Amino acid sequence: MSAGTATATTDVVIRLVGESGEGTVSLGDLLVKMFGSMGLDIYTFQTFPAEIKGGTVMYQIRAKSGTTLSFGDAVDVLVALNDEGFDLFGKGLREDGILLYNSDVFTPSPSPGRTDYALPITTLAKAEKEAIRHLITGEALKRLPPPVNIIGLGALLRLVSAPLEPAERYIHDLFDRKGDEIVRMNISALHSGAKFIEEEIGNKRTPHVSPMERDHDIITVTGNQMIAYGALAAGLKFYAGYPITPATEVMEFIAKDIPALGGEVVQAEDEIAAIGMVVGASYAGKKAMTASSGPGISLMVETINLAAQAEIPIVVVDVQRAGASTGMPTKTSQADLNLAIFGVHNESPRIVMAVASVEDCFWTMTHAFNLAEKYQCPVIVLSDQSLATRKSTIPPPDMSKVHLETRLLASPDERAGGFQRYKDTETGVSPMAIPGMAMGIYTSTGIEHDEHGDPGYTPELASKMKDKRFRKLAYLQKTEADHYLKIWGDEGKVDVGIIAFGSTEGVIREATQRAQADGIKVAHMHLRLLNPLPVNAINKFAARCDKILVPELNYTGQLANWLKINTEIKVIPFHKDEGIPFIPNDIYQMITSVMV
Amino acid sequence: MAVATETLHAPKDYKSDLKPVWCPGCGDYGVLSALYKAMSMCNLDPEKTVVVSGIGCSSRLPGFVQTYGFHGVHGRGLPVATGIKMARPDLNVVVVGGDGDGYSIGGGHLPHCARRNPDITYVVMNNNIYGLTKGQVSPTSMVPLASMNAKMDPKRWKTTPYGMTEESLNPIALAIAMDVSFVARGFSYRPNQLADIIAEGINHKGFALIDTFSPCPTFNQDQTDDFYKDHTYDIPEDHDPTDRIKAFALALETTNFPVGVIYRNDNKHSVLEEQAYLRDKYQGKVDMEQIFARNLSYTVAKE
Repeated sequence: MSAGTATATTDVVIRLVGESGEGTVSLGDLLVKMFGSMGLDIYTFQTFPAEIKGGTVMYQIRAKSGTTLSFGDAVDVLVALNDEGFDLFGKGLREDGILLYNSDVFTPSPSPGRTDYALPITTLAKAEKEAIRHLITGEALKRLPPPVNIIGLGALLRLVSAPLEPAERYIHDLFDRKGDEIVRMNISALHSGAKFIEEEIGNKRTPHVSPMERDHDIITVTGNQMIAYGALAAGLKFYAGYPITPATEVMEFIAKDIPALGGEVVQAEDEIAAIGMVVGASYAGKKAMTASSGPGISLMVETINLAAQAEIPIVVVDVQRAGASTGMPTKTSQADLNLAIFGVHNESPRIVMAVASVEDCFWTMTHAFNLAEKYQCPVIVLSDQSLATRKSTIPPPDMSKVHLETRLLASPDERAGGFQRYKDTETGVSPMAIPGMAMGIYTSTGIEHDEHGDPGYTPELASKMKDKRFRKLAYLQKTEADHYLKIWGDEGKVDVGIIAFGSTEGVIREATQRAQADGIKVAHMHLRLLNPLPVNAINKFAARCDKILVPELNYTGQLANWLKINTEIKVIPFHKDEGIPFIPNDIYQMITSVMV
Repeated sequence: MAVATETLHAPKDYKSDLKPVWCPGCGDYGVLSALYKAMSMCNLDPEKTVVVSGIGCSSRLPGFVQTYGFHGVHGRGLPVATGIKMARPDLNVVVVGGDGDGYSIGGGHLPHCARRNPDITYVVMNNNIYGLTKGQVSPTSMVPLASMNAKMDPKRWKTTPYGMTEESLNPIALAIAMDVSFVARGFSYRPNQLADIIAEGINHKGFALIDTFSPCPTFNQDQTDDFYKDHTYDIPEDHDPTDRIKAFALALETTNFPVGVIYRNDNKHSVLEEQAYLRDKYQGKVDMEQIFARNLSYTVAKE
C-alpha cells in the first residue's frame, strides 16, 4: 500500500477502556472513522469480556502517517471511562503518557511524569440532554441517551488538535433522520467536549495528529468483513453457518450482500447441519462455505472428512479463539493449526491456509476457493479473533486482479459409456459431473469406492484410491505451493530468519524493521499455505538464515512441530498463549536474544 | 418437479447395475421397488434427481437407484439434501435412511427441516432396531421397560442385556407436532400402496416424511412382517389429513398402526420460496465495487 505524504509525522497509540456495552466500542469506532477520514493509516485491537454487558472492554487504536503494521507497544493516550478499566489496562500507558479519565466516575492516584486530563463526561452529556428537554417529549425523551460518546469524541479530537468538521458531517449522517434537535444536541456536545479540554490544556502536553494526503481511496474494514468480501468476490453462492464468537460477523456480512449477488444464506440448527448443507450445495454445483471457531469446527470434522473422501470442494473458515473447550471465546489464539491439519479420523487430503492481514483476508479467500475448486477438496482457512475484529485502512481491492478458477467438469465424451467420477489421473483430479448433466449419473460417497463411485474394499482398490486422492496435494505442492507465501526483510544471508503464519505478519514486519535499524540482518517468511507446506521455498529460505525463529500464539509450538515433520530445518520455537496478540517488542526481544 | 419431458420411465429404468447388499427377506427390498415405481409414476427425470442418504443398511439405497446419489455420514441426510435442494431447486431430491439414522443421531435435524419445509421427500425405513451394527435397540424399538411390566420378560438386546431402559419414541406424532407438512406411514410388504404414498409425497410441495415399517428378519424377531400384517390397517378414505387433531389421534394409535397419509399442511411456507423472493428482490442491486464503496473512509478528490 502506498504511504502517501503527511504534513507532519503522526504515530499515536490511543487506548480506550470502559464498561462493555456502555459505548467504549462506539467511541473507538467514531475515532477510527475520523482518523480514517484524515487519511491516516489505522490498525486496531479490541479485546472483550465474554458477557453481552458488563466487564471491561479495551479498544486500542494506532493512527500513523505511513503504513501501520501493529497496534503498537506502548500506549500514548489512555482514555479511561471507569476505574476498573484503568486498573486492568492502565499499565500499558507509557510513563510520560497522557491519561484522559471520566472524572464523574473516579479519580486516579497521581503518577509523576503522566499528564492527566479530567473530563466530567457524564455531567457534560447530561447537560446537553437537559438543554433540549423542552423540545422533545415523553417516551422519546426517556429513550434518548445522553451524548456521552460525542462528548468524548469532541474532547479527544481537540486533545490531538484534529479538526471538528469531519465529525460534524458524520453527526449529520448519523442523526439527520432523527430530527434537528438531536443533530443540534450532538453537535453542541462535540463542541462542549472540545471546549472543556481546550480549557484544561494550558501548558499541558498534547499528542500530535496531522492529516495525511493519499493518492487513492481508502476503505476502513475488519478481518471478518474482508473474509466475507473475499468469498463473495470468489463467487460464493451458498453459505450455511451457526453463530459463534468470534466468527459470526463473517455470516452477517455475507448475509447482507449475498442475495444481491445471486446466492443464499441459511442459519443452520448446528455446525453439523451447516457443514452438511455446504457439502450438499457444492455437490449440486455451487461454490459453498461456512465459518466457525474451534468448538464449531470440532463438530464439523466428520463431514469435512466426507468432503475429502467424496472429493467435494468446500471452504471452511476457522476464526480461532483462545483456550480449550469453551476457553476464552473473546480472546485470540493460533492454536487450531493442529485441528486444521490433523482434525480427521484416518487420513484424508485437505488444504490448510491462513490469512495474514485484513487486506490479505480478501485475497487468500479468493485463493482458497480456487484451490478448493481446482483440487476438489476441503480448504480450511485459519483466521483469529484479533484479526477478525481488527480495523484496517486499505485500498479497495482491485476486482480486475481477482482471478477465479472453477472445478474441472466432465465433458460429454468423458461422461458417455460408464462415467468414471473418480477416474485415476496423473494429478489425482477427476472430472466431475453435476446433477442435471446427461450421462453423468454417479453416487457421491464417503465409503471407499472404485473409479465409478461403486463401493469396494479390496486391498488394491483401497491403496489405489487413497493414493489418487493424496496425489492432488502432492501435485499442488510440486506445482504451486511456493506462490502462497510472502518474504519480507533482507535478501541474501541473514542472522535471523522468522517463519510464521496468520495474524502476526504485521507485528513481525515491524519488529524486523526495528532489528534491521539496529544493524541486524533479518528475513521473514509468512506462510499463507500450511498444508501442503511449500517445503522447497522453506528449505531455500532456511539455507540463508543463521538462526530460524518460529513465533506463534499457542502453547505447544504447532507450526514449529509441523515444520519438524516436513523439513530438516532447525527452528527455535517461540510461543505465547495468553489470549492476546504479540506486540512488536515481543518479537524484537526474541530477535536480539538469539543474537548473543 | 423436474419430470422427464420425452420418454416415460418404467420402474426398471430407475434400477442401477449394483445389486443390493441386504439380507434375504429384508423389508428394504420392498421399499426400493416401491421407490422405483413411485419415481416412474411421477416420471422423474433420472438425471435431474438425487437420492441422498446417511449411514445404515437402508442408507446403501442410493447406489441401487439409477439417478444421481449422495451417500454421506450417519444422520446427516437431511442437511445434505437441504443444501442440494436450496442450491438447485430444479432437482428432485429424495432422502432415504433408517430409524437410527433419522430419529436418533440425526433426530435434531427433523424439526428444523420441518421449519424450512424444503420440497424434499424423506423415506425412513423403520425396522425398530440397529441392523448394520447387528442388533441393538433403536429409538423406535418397541419393548416394554423391565421395571414397568414385571410379568413380561424384558427384551434383551445386545447393548441392553438386562432389558431396554428407555421408552420408544413416536415419529409420526413428533412429525405432526413439528408440523412436517406431509406425514405418512407405509409398510414395505405392501409395495403398491407404499409406491402410491411415496408418489404423493414426491408430488407434495414441501417436506414429506414417510415412516415405513421395513422389518429386519435377521435381528428383530418381534416386529416381523407377520407382526405388522397383524398390527396395521389402512387409514379410512374419509380421513381428512389436513385436520391436525384427527391426525394426532391416528398417530397415537400404537397397538394397531394406521397406514397411509396421516397429516398434510398445504399452506406452509418454504425456505425455497423465501430465498427465491430475496433473490428476485435484490439480485443485481449491488456489485463488489459498490460494497467496497460503502466502507470508504477517505476519498481522493476527483479532478
